[in-house]
Amino acid sequence: MIVGMIVLITCAVAFLRPSPVDFSSQVKPILNKKCITCHGGVRAKAGFSVLFREEALAATESGKPAIIPGDPGSSEMIRRITSNDEEERMPYKHEPLSHEEIKTLKRWIREGAKWGDHWAYLPVKQTAVPGIEDPWVKNDIDKYILQKLNGEKITPSSEAPKATLLRRVSLDLIGIYPSDSICRNYLQNNSGQSYEILVDSLLASPQFGERWTSMWLDLARYADTKGYESDGGRSIWQYRDWVIKAFNEDMPYDRFLTAQIAGDLLPGASGEDFIATAFHRNTMTNDEGGTDNEEFRVAAVTDRVNTTWEAIMGTTFSCVQCHSHPYDPFKHDEYYKFLAYFNNTRDEDIDEEFPVMRQFTDTMQRQLNDLSDWVSRHSSKERSQQIEWLIRTHQPAINSTTADSLVNAVIILNNHGLLLRNHSIARIRNMDLSGNDQFIWQFYSQRKGGKLTFRKDSIHGPVIAVYTIKPSANWQYGYTGFSTQQGVHDIYLSYENSLMPKGKYEDGMSFGWIAASVKLPGKGTKEYSKYHDVYRQLLEAPVPGTPIMLENPANLARKTQVFERGNFRTPGKEVTPAVPAALQYAMPENAPANRAGLAQWITSDKNPLVARTIVNRLWEQLFGTGIVETLEDMGTQGIAPTHQQLLDYLSYRLVHEYRWSLKSLLKEMVMSATYRQDSRLTDEIKEKDFFNRFYARGARVRLTAEQVRDQALQASGKLSVKMFGKPVMPWQPDGIWLSPYNDARWEKSTGEDQYRRAIYTYWKRSSPYPSMISFDGAQRNVCSARRIRTNTPLQALVTLNDSAYLDLSRQFAFRMKKVAGQDPAKQIATGYTLLLYRNMPAAKLELFLELYDKALKDFRNDKDRTCEMTGLLDENNNPQTAALVVVANAMLNLDEVIMKN
Amino acid sequence: MTRQELIDQRMAGEAREAQLRLHTRRHFIRESAMGLGALAIGYMIGGCGNNSLPATTAVAFDPAHPLLPKSPPFAGKARSVIYLHMAGAPSQLELFDYKPELMKMDGQDCPPSLMEGKQFAFIRGVPKMLGPQAKFSRHGQSGSWVSENLPHFSTVVDEVSFLKAVTTDQFNHAPAQLLMHTGSPRLGRPSIGSWVTYGLGTDNQNLPGFVVLTSGGSFPDAGKSVWGSGFLPSVYQGVQCRSEGDPVLFINDPDGMSRNVRRASVDAINAANMQEYKEYNDPEILSRISQYEMAFRMQITAPEVMNINDEPSYIHEMYGTKPGEACFANNVLLARKLVEKGVRFVQLFDWGWDAHGDNASNSLNIGMINKYRSIDKPVTALLLDLKQRGLLEETLVVWGGEFGRTPMMENRNGAQNPFKGRDHHTDAFTIWMAGGGIKKGITYGETDEIGYYAIKGKVEAYDIQATILNQLGFNHETFTYPFQGRPFRLTDVAGKVINEIIA
Repeated sequence: MIVGMIVLITCAVAFLRPSPVDFSSQVKPILNKKCITCHGGVRAKAGFSVLFREEALAATESGKPAIIPGDPGSSEMIRRITSNDEEERMPYKHEPLSHEEIKTLKRWIREGAKWGDHWAYLPVKQTAVPGIEDPWVKNDIDKYILQKLNGEKITPSSEAPKATLLRRVSLDLIGIYPSDSICRNYLQNNSGQSYEILVDSLLASPQFGERWTSMWLDLARYADTKGYESDGGRSIWQYRDWVIKAFNEDMPYDRFLTAQIAGDLLPGASGEDFIATAFHRNTMTNDEGGTDNEEFRVAAVTDRVNTTWEAIMGTTFSCVQCHSHPYDPFKHDEYYKFLAYFNNTRDEDIDEEFPVMRQFTDTMQRQLNDLSDWVSRHSSKERSQQIEWLIRTHQPAINSTTADSLVNAVIILNNHGLLLRNHSIARIRNMDLSGNDQFIWQFYSQRKGGKLTFRKDSIHGPVIAVYTIKPSANWQYGYTGFSTQQGVHDIYLSYENSLMPKGKYEDGMSFGWIAASVKLPGKGTKEYSKYHDVYRQLLEAPVPGTPIMLENPANLARKTQVFERGNFRTPGKEVTPAVPAALQYAMPENAPANRAGLAQWITSDKNPLVARTIVNRLWEQLFGTGIVETLEDMGTQGIAPTHQQLLDYLSYRLVHEYRWSLKSLLKEMVMSATYRQDSRLTDEIKEKDFFNRFYARGARVRLTAEQVRDQALQASGKLSVKMFGKPVMPWQPDGIWLSPYNDARWEKSTGEDQYRRAIYTYWKRSSPYPSMISFDGAQRNVCSARRIRTNTPLQALVTLNDSAYLDLSRQFAFRMKKVAGQDPAKQIATGYTLLLYRNMPAAKLELFLELYDKALKDFRNDKDRTCEMTGLLDENNNPQTAALVVVANAMLNLDEVIMKN
Repeated sequence: MTRQELIDQRMAGEAREAQLRLHTRRHFIRESAMGLGALAIGYMIGGCGNNSLPATTAVAFDPAHPLLPKSPPFAGKARSVIYLHMAGAPSQLELFDYKPELMKMDGQDCPPSLMEGKQFAFIRGVPKMLGPQAKFSRHGQSGSWVSENLPHFSTVVDEVSFLKAVTTDQFNHAPAQLLMHTGSPRLGRPSIGSWVTYGLGTDNQNLPGFVVLTSGGSFPDAGKSVWGSGFLPSVYQGVQCRSEGDPVLFINDPDGMSRNVRRASVDAINAANMQEYKEYNDPEILSRISQYEMAFRMQITAPEVMNINDEPSYIHEMYGTKPGEACFANNVLLARKLVEKGVRFVQLFDWGWDAHGDNASNSLNIGMINKYRSIDKPVTALLLDLKQRGLLEETLVVWGGEFGRTPMMENRNGAQNPFKGRDHHTDAFTIWMAGGGIKKGITYGETDEIGYYAIKGKVEAYDIQATILNQLGFNHETFTYPFQGRPFRLTDVAGKVINEIIA
């Protein structure tokens, strides 16, 4: 009762006096729109900036502050926005502020010019669901939507027809139709549960993971090549497969992010956790000779920072690389503090992309487990782990590209290993020899008489090992034992060859990498020689490796410095890992200052950005536009959310109720009445909400590049459901790949691999599969937070003329024949139903029959054309089938097929 | 096709579009009136004939006919643009900016005053000065300085306005190229060709409005983003035409499909889509209809125009073409053909101008000599050919790179480079323009006596962009597009039309 009274009184007071101006929602938008371009951060014309409060209230170039809290009359800012003098009036040479805007700013200053934080940087709070009751409402989402629609006086649409909804929700959840029986069950079942049954089976489908991985790979900038000018191949598809599995298992999103940011640092990390860290090994690697490895390593690290912010936190952080953020509360040195989290990983922009997780077959893995057990029995668990790790990753290898103090030796083109000539010396710095008694190293030499000496600490230091080189036409592994050492030491390699002809530049040997390790224990036992063979076979097996993230051990740790103006050649003060002060509040106590700690901060329920970003992204995938349209930027320069309360409601629910389960969140979205609406534009909607920002109708958007291909595959009946594995190369025109620096070739896949889902198509960064790019696929050089959908004649040319699509049109036509028999009308109507699960309207059937007849006439007169159109000299080589191929090709180009209705 | 035929065809096309528009008049009026949300307004279809320029000249954007020709806000002198970009940045000191004083300093250590507070891409420590690696003389009535490296071009200098004092603030290729073409060193803004086709549409609906041709064996460093459409609808992005295989990807009908059958199939698709439009009422469907129409027409026109074999031999001789190669000379001839056929903006990128001198092919005295030869004849031919066809007056030709080269010899990482080369230089370089209402035989701007700093008539990328837009009939300050809550323009918050070179 007393509480009620207080509420009443507060309301009464609020009625009498208008509530104070809210900075974030009322003032900041004006400043951002009208002032900050010239008066913010880096651009502070006349010494006036409205980015931070302390700047806005500070003295300007005139010596006086432009804003005097409490006194709009004396504030220069107000004088200038209201001035009648064209030369004085702000915004300079732009539209003046409206009376409303001026009034708001005056009131704001009168009330003390108080500052407030941007909504996206404040924690997500539980919101009260609007108390709206309406038969249209199916779940809480609809209440938020309907509240706004009521406010705008727009009527929401009724539910879409079943066939439309089937196709929409199938495309949205798994990217293609589910099995025919699931579709028919849904269409024929008129009970209230039929839709939910459909949704549940889609969520459980293995194709679910493939569809959502398509989305994630743009963010992860996944590609099958390394990028830059030479753009050589990279074997990182195991990461793609990990993402598919994670989505299919509904791995909680916090766990999903943790594994990708810091899987290697998790206690008891599994092989899968290491593969997950390849998320940040999708950065580009520059193989080009002569490039500075450190420059491109730094570029990769900055990309990891930018991607972490853009993909996971919907924030454009990259501007802070060069200067304090012009609009958002991030300072220049905070960029480098954040970068320090990523700056100590083992990778170094070298060709081989070490460190990698070597890709073992099941047999190899079994052999390794067996070996590992054997080692444990003859030594210790610790030692067996060390050996297992060496075999799976070749770590702790040191790349010889980092060798220095070179005498008569060179690092080939900065990039390609160490070349040792006769009487040469090279230093490998900071090798941790503690407890170790063996070097393992990779080399190549065709010369007899070579001898490699390993010295400790200096050129004249104690010799710890000598190795006699046996020439070979292949790269070899050297195993050099020595007495057990302690501590971190520089190792000096010297190469001598008494048989080598004189001449300074004669090459003795090439040197790859070197690791200090332990000998295989158990010498003298009966099984030693068997296990030693296995040990060497596994260690030396020529298998590709998936690049992974690993932290440098202490002996190789890097320090991080601020780069002045973002240039890595001008390092400034040293910094240690930290998140920006404005968001420090989300950092759990006692979190370690490394990537594991960073992952804790990212997945903390206090982090204001992470849940909102993924909710907004999933919403955009289903509804065509995000609640915040700029998926890449929820900051002050992003577009303001249309339904902020709803965004927060869903974000809170994702974290606290769904425990980060994305499938649960998606289910809530697709079960809403909002989602299920008809997508037809009524005159009312067209007038009041053309862009569907209030959601009075279902989304009507073009299919993604992947969906366009997968749909044609499915219609043709050729779609392969094979999952996972190496990328495939379906048909593409000649001359697309221009690889001046390597001899990579597009080798067309055979058998079912030609017809795999688009997600498995080989992705070459400098030259992606052409039709993917035509339909707005991202280049994947860097993180791409949003695909902008377009509509161009070049897209029409793809689906009309691309041989890949013609092939699928043929298969589609053959399928129509098979299902429908000989009657053309039946064949065409069947094709339409195969595509859209509904009966073909008579008027459309008539159009396509007419097309069929015209084509048939043409083919009857021309045997060669008939043959070309049907493809093969088989039972399909007749004018009727050729005409049907033309019809199939046209049907795959219908707007209702290219669009999601 | 002759120009008259082109005009006839355009008329026919417009009539057709008008009919389609009439057909859906209700939709159209509503779309225009509500401005298609953020996009349209400004001067409307048919023009409003208002004399006073509004504060913001937005453009009528019609998603169903995004490339229809539109009139600019004021009468521009140029109808189309050919922009020749030498990617890698050619040396002004070996081509146009004659500096005898620099010769006197050749081989001396660079004075510390020139290095203070400066940052270079590769120069470290104290480099040596490097005199001009070419002989210069004055040419034509105008007496413009051109080096011996461009003997043909020196005969046409009286057609040209030289800007000798261009500056930039980006010293790496990709950002500098982006700044030059998109007005921002970062990714994501529309390129100038996209802005122009957005604002003016294009005269020939059977060809892309904005065509890109590359040579030199590689894309420019900034990649396809330099012809991207940024936040403008992607229909305005540059369409890359290829000299091998299909001139435009997938332009040819599948084997076995006759033109008649293709026509019938596009008709069926469009008629079915029109039925769908009646049901869904979504103008995006009309847009798809017009895209399919355009695709169909482009299938005939693009292969025709991309074939240079039909040109007479004297033209091939004049341009120095090499049939069957993706070379600069062929691309320049194609550029002329495309502009003649009504393409609005033709962008050429020729890669390989980065004269560092760390190897022979990028040295000033070996590799660059070949580059100079490869452009001298074709560029000269382009100006003469456009002129003899009466097209030079309405075609703006721009030539330049993304920055200049230092008067110092590059010493990569502090060590002498094996060949003569110059590092990236942001403080002075040369760009020239010709045709399209630009003054003839003018030199504007001046650098100091060693070509280090611009001292008079300094201009930057934004001024070049402002001038190009001006010649096409746009005020660069009011030609905007709303994005992320504010109007964006090509020239950001800068840019000044270079009136000194406007005829």
